[in-house]
Amino acid sequence: ALSELHFNMLHIDGLGRTKEDLLTYEIADVFRAKSLIDVMKKSHEARQKLLRLGIFRKVEVLIDTSRGEGALPNGLDVTFEVTELRRLTGSYNTMVGNNEGSMVLGLKLPNALGRAEKLTFQFSYGTKETSYGLSFFKPQPGNFEPFPSICTNQTLKWEGVWRELGCLARTPSFAIRKESGHTLKSSLSHAMVIDTRNSSILPRRGGLLRIHQELAGFTGGDVSFLKEDFEIQLNKSLFWDSVLSASLWSGLVLPIGDKPTSIADRFYLGGPTSIRGFSMYSVGPQSEGDYLGGEAYWAGGLHLYTPLPFRPAKGGFGDLFRTHFFLNAGNLCNLNYGEGPKAHLKKLAECVRWSYGLGVLLRLGNIARLELNYCIPMGVQSGDRICDGVQFGAGIRFL
Amino acid sequence: MSLAAEAFVSQIAAAEPWPENATLYQPLKEDQILLSDCASSLAVQAYLRMCGLPVQVVCRANAEYMSPSGKIPFIHVGNQVVSELGPIVQFTKAKGHSLSDGLDDVQRAEMKAYMELVNNMLLTAELFIQWCDDATAAEISRPRYSSPYSWPLNNILAYQKQWEVRRKMNAIGWGGKTLEQVYEDVSQCCQALSQRLGTQPYFFSKQPTELDALVFGHLFTIITTRLTSGELAERIKGFSNLLSFCRRIEQTYFEDKSSST
Repeated sequence: ALSELHFNMLHIDGLGRTKEDLLTYEIADVFRAKSLIDVMKKSHEARQKLLRLGIFRKVEVLIDTSRGEGALPNGLDVTFEVTELRRLTGSYNTMVGNNEGSMVLGLKLPNALGRAEKLTFQFSYGTKETSYGLSFFKPQPGNFEPFPSICTNQTLKWEGVWRELGCLARTPSFAIRKESGHTLKSSLSHAMVIDTRNSSILPRRGGLLRIHQELAGFTGGDVSFLKEDFEIQLNKSLFWDSVLSASLWSGLVLPIGDKPTSIADRFYLGGPTSIRGFSMYSVGPQSEGDYLGGEAYWAGGLHLYTPLPFRPAKGGFGDLFRTHFFLNAGNLCNLNYGEGPKAHLKKLAECVRWSYGLGVLLRLGNIARLELNYCIPMGVQSGDRICDGVQFGAGIRFL
Repeated sequence: MSLAAEAFVSQIAAAEPWPENATLYQPLKEDQILLSDCASSLAVQAYLRMCGLPVQVVCRANAEYMSPSGKIPFIHVGNQVVSELGPIVQFTKAKGHSLSDGLDDVQRAEMKAYMELVNNMLLTAELFIQWCDDATAAEISRPRYSSPYSWPLNNILAYQKQWEVRRKMNAIGWGGKTLEQVYEDVSQCCQALSQRLGTQPYFFSKQPTELDALVFGHLFTIITTRLTSGELAERIKGFSNLLSFCRRIEQTYFEDKSSST
């Protein structure tokens, strides 16, 4: 009878270079199935997990009655037929970042050593920055107590970056000139993301917590620092289809050793994707009009998203637009060591820049959004550049 | 520099007097700087001392990249950054300091000609020996040039620089020369300089000019720098009036500090 069928044996076909022990974690659940329905459900979940590893092009599941040697009556055999991805793949993408566009050429070795390690080489040529990157990524089939494993994601990454900084203007400030030249950054970074939002662009509910740390200098390279940054976002649906959203970003970079931090590693604040009402990266320490970034920052935003007034084109195109009322605040400073953390916290709390306003947003798929805002910047310090009035922004990550 | 650029620099420069905190930037002295850069830097330092203009020498690993023209040395005076001896001479002239005011047109043309000779012969020979001679490149130039960086960036940058200099040598026709021929060229250049100097203290009689600073910078650096072969220094030491010229300038303008590499 159907109810007597139980799980018997599991086969995996099609493994080439992938190591078996990587897969045992993902498909472990199938072994615990007790009935036909259970086997089907758990096999389906295991298939999803295998696909999520990013190393198989196709995964098919075949459930059949046991046959052959050692076959039990009422036994079920589950076979996963996998097709591995090619050893080397190339890609060409265009990317929209925060107020910049770029073209990215990539070479990827998915599953480089058989345990879903990804080795990627990327060349990016954009409106603001040209870069080459080599990255190695090894996923952890982690044990994520106490967080539920459906919504956490941890990554451990080694990055080697060769940076060449040069002066674009004819007469940059001397502080910028001093940063010219080549540096090599070799760093290990770890990121943990808990994302319970229903969408990443205009979420209606849920929250995001992202904690990222990066340690540079212990695996070679010219720069040594410890960088921590975190991002938290909470969303709540209110009456009348509106959403209240609060977000907080914060970061810190501590140089290790006696060399100061490089301008390429510091944080920047200001712009249509961070504190609106200020020009791009134009808040904080500067020298003759060139902004130098800071070693510690915090920024917060409070938004009320509502549908367009009078709801034109409801159910169709109109749903891509939202209006929002926002309040942004933040501060950026350098760390002058020897003063202790209390003094730095005090510095970050005084002379806070903030702004408020309203605007219209357009959602582009599930990746990006465009904003047109009317901003009123406040708490402007001497040296900051503001963009009061109408400001346009395009990007994937907004405060 | 183009005429328009010269006029612009003069206008801006003339506005302010020479500040106390003028700084000259060059690569790290102990481990990084090479013969050609050291010679150029010493020439500028000698020139500024001859003009009586105080300047502080600061060594930075990325000096070459900081320079607006990519060449060493450069000076940071007030708000302005000027690199290489030629533009620096123009810059100081605009501020009212000049060593060649007392020369007439013929002498000035002669001075320019000899300065071109030094740049085309001595400086090019230095670059050739540093980067086109395999022994020197492998033992001295590449390790020193790449010393501030970590692997693999150090190798990449050193080889990049070597290819760049070799390409330039090929472009000016020095690619096919042997080391012997280069030493011969240096000897001939020194012969011409020695003849012009004769028994005078400086090239233009009693007062030093920028030509003296340039010649001193190169000759003094060559005779005090240890290379894989001492041949180059020997060739120069063969000219006794040039040797005493170098010693005289060192004693007159550099007696308060030692300036050998």
